[in-house]
Amino acid sequence: MRRGRVLAGFLLAILTAMAAKYCLAQAAMRLPGELAWNIGYDPKTFDPAKVDDIDSETVRYLTGGVLLRFNRLTQKVEPQLAESWNVSPDGKTITFRLRAGLKFSDGSALTSRDAAWSIQRVLLLGDSAPVSAEFVAPDGVHVDAPDARTVIVHLPQRVVEIGKVFDEIAIEPAGRLSEGRVTSGPFYVANYLRSQYVRLRRNPYYELRDADGSVLPRASGVLLDIVENPEEQIRLFLRGDSDVIDRLSPEYYEMLRQRNPGTVRDLGPSLNTEQMWFNQSPASPLPAWEKAWFRNQAFRVAVSQAIHRDDIARVVYLGHATPAYSFISPANTAWYNRNLAPPRTDVAAARAGLLRAGFRLQGAQLVDADGHPVRFSILTNAGNDERLKMATLIQQDLSAVGMQVNVVTLDFPALIERLMHTQDYEACLLGLENVDADPNEMMNIWLSSSPNHQWSPSEKTPATAWEAEIDKEMNLQATSRSDAVRKAAVDRVQQIVADEEPFIYLVYPNVLVAVSTRLEGAQPAVLEPELWWNVEDLHLRGTR
Amino acid sequence: MRIRLLPVWLLVALALGASLIVALPGASYAYQDREHTLTGASLQHPAGTDELGRDRLVRVSAALLLSLAGALAASALTTAAAAAIGALAAFAPRGVAWLVMLVCDAFLALPWLFLLMMVRSALPLQASPAHSAAITFLVLAALGWPACARAVYSGGLGLKRSDWIMQARASGLRGAQLIRQVLPNLRPLLLPQFLVCVPAFVIAEANLGALGLGIGEPLPSWGGMLLELDNSALLFRTQWVYFPVALLILVLLLLEAIPVEA
Repeated sequence: MRRGRVLAGFLLAILTAMAAKYCLAQAAMRLPGELAWNIGYDPKTFDPAKVDDIDSETVRYLTGGVLLRFNRLTQKVEPQLAESWNVSPDGKTITFRLRAGLKFSDGSALTSRDAAWSIQRVLLLGDSAPVSAEFVAPDGVHVDAPDARTVIVHLPQRVVEIGKVFDEIAIEPAGRLSEGRVTSGPFYVANYLRSQYVRLRRNPYYELRDADGSVLPRASGVLLDIVENPEEQIRLFLRGDSDVIDRLSPEYYEMLRQRNPGTVRDLGPSLNTEQMWFNQSPASPLPAWEKAWFRNQAFRVAVSQAIHRDDIARVVYLGHATPAYSFISPANTAWYNRNLAPPRTDVAAARAGLLRAGFRLQGAQLVDADGHPVRFSILTNAGNDERLKMATLIQQDLSAVGMQVNVVTLDFPALIERLMHTQDYEACLLGLENVDADPNEMMNIWLSSSPNHQWSPSEKTPATAWEAEIDKEMNLQATSRSDAVRKAAVDRVQQIVADEEPFIYLVYPNVLVAVSTRLEGAQPAVLEPELWWNVEDLHLRGTR
Repeated sequence: MRIRLLPVWLLVALALGASLIVALPGASYAYQDREHTLTGASLQHPAGTDELGRDRLVRVSAALLLSLAGALAASALTTAAAAAIGALAAFAPRGVAWLVMLVCDAFLALPWLFLLMMVRSALPLQASPAHSAAITFLVLAALGWPACARAVYSGGLGLKRSDWIMQARASGLRGAQLIRQVLPNLRPLLLPQFLVCVPAFVIAEANLGALGLGIGEPLPSWGGMLLELDNSALLFRTQWVYFPVALLILVLLLLEAIPVEA
């Protein structure tokens, strides 16, 4: 008995010590000249071809050498490992000429054989290499390396913005998978401690030079601390243990602005949108009259007009969001339709529109022509504070036109089950993250046959004339060789969407970042990775 | 007034005060004063406003009433169910008792949080906020009875073996007659069970609300208000965000302090 107690006490002591060690775990030592920031979770993979999550993407971006780099600031494609590149007039043949004397981080030579092998590997991996889908028909792609510095890619069909695809293909040594240990980019993976950090060191053989000839990258390495909790991220930043924070929430932005003015930047609207939509699916189990409301354009427009987007931006995002009327953000300078004329907030017009569409007020309650009271629920995901607040503001806005709204939050799996499978919901409020500026990326949302055509998924034929027109215009922009034709097609889709409001766009959340005053060379951009897209130029002034 | 009953009186006073605040003309727990969000105390809003500009005092008062009423009702329900099930098991044949206790154990072993999430996601979306509140407490009641039923069962077994019950049986009392004699004797067991359940349900509702799965907006709930504490950036802006949690702790302390033999 006594021995048992001693043993139990001993075990307890060990457990306590372990718990204390875990809780008190300090951030890893920073090395001289090393940059440091946080990633949220462990990277799921270090294999650059198989990247599918944002944290693995960060490691790939910092370590992978690419033939072409998409400049996040100018939004133009620039040669990187390639010295030059060109696309044949029919858009089916891309020829790259590599820089002379390229080497991997272990000192071995980088030739066209390595580049061709890396591209082929992505194509062969198929579904487990998400980037392969961007070739549209990856099975038909052929890659040749006629000499040590030339790579030729033959496509079975033209792919719009093909240059950007090569920004995501890291060139690895042929036949030697290294999980980021041997790279052709600015850094390589030196050390990884699960749940603690990923340490990247400078690639000593990196060929790129600054305009004044100085060695790049200018930092000796990057330490990526794995910190999930935003509170902890802020603490590290305030303590000087991390140099940048991306994706700040408006509340933390405001807090940092008061504590450390000069470190935070509001870069204006992001490419992301927050929107609500009504379920128009004919397969949904909703009563017929509700389906009729949701398919009625006048009803959707009235809802849109009754929503005070300025209040959402001001109250929910503390002013760090921009009212949205289109799926393309004004930050997307190349594609945003500047002539868009959407229905703006106007409660009187909303009331009048509803009256014209046969709705009427019975006391304070809006009823339809058959006397059904207009009541519906807005679904959003539990745990997202901003969306819950937006839905609650909309609840009050819509009560001003007599609509009774329930706000329902569900955990994500339950929400997706309703959206994608049972279609048992009335309205939903969610956001869409757009990593790429090109609207071609959104084909799966706009084509009526797509399962991601949220308001009415997988239509056999377009349900309405305007959906048919969206299909036509989107297909046109996907195949046209003329930039002007593509732009005109996308402009038209933006106007149709603004008129018909299948999605009622609410806001573009602004891009909020924090940059330490010690960090030099930072040029935050709206496109991801906002802060370290030009990591070669980043360096610390003085010592940490 | 006995000093031992002070917690009860304080709770009654709190509830009356809260009712008064909620019933005041112009008081609304849902109205959003969008020009004054997350403010400190003012003449218009004595405890400031929340992030959407809603009066914090009115919301806290409404949450207090809602949570107390809900927890009391759920507790009464769960205690009644436990009394019935526990007594049935104690006085039924051994096989039935074994089966009932097995069900109890199975219930106790359920991962109730996931169960609650599943129940919540299966609810019709059209359920109004008031319905969602009722359903939340009903679900809590449905999950709260097994522990209590076990206690009643053991108490019932003790009674069954007691001399006076033997005597009653010997003199010919059977079934329902017997139960009628037994129930008053279980009262010392049931009252503490009832009182233990009330704060447990208050805190369970707060936890669910903090997960975003409790009472629907715009009805106020402890959980929804505690969510504000999740964010140190808000604490930085006004100290009044601590008000709901302070009151919740006070209410829980008072509930725990009610003497069980009262």
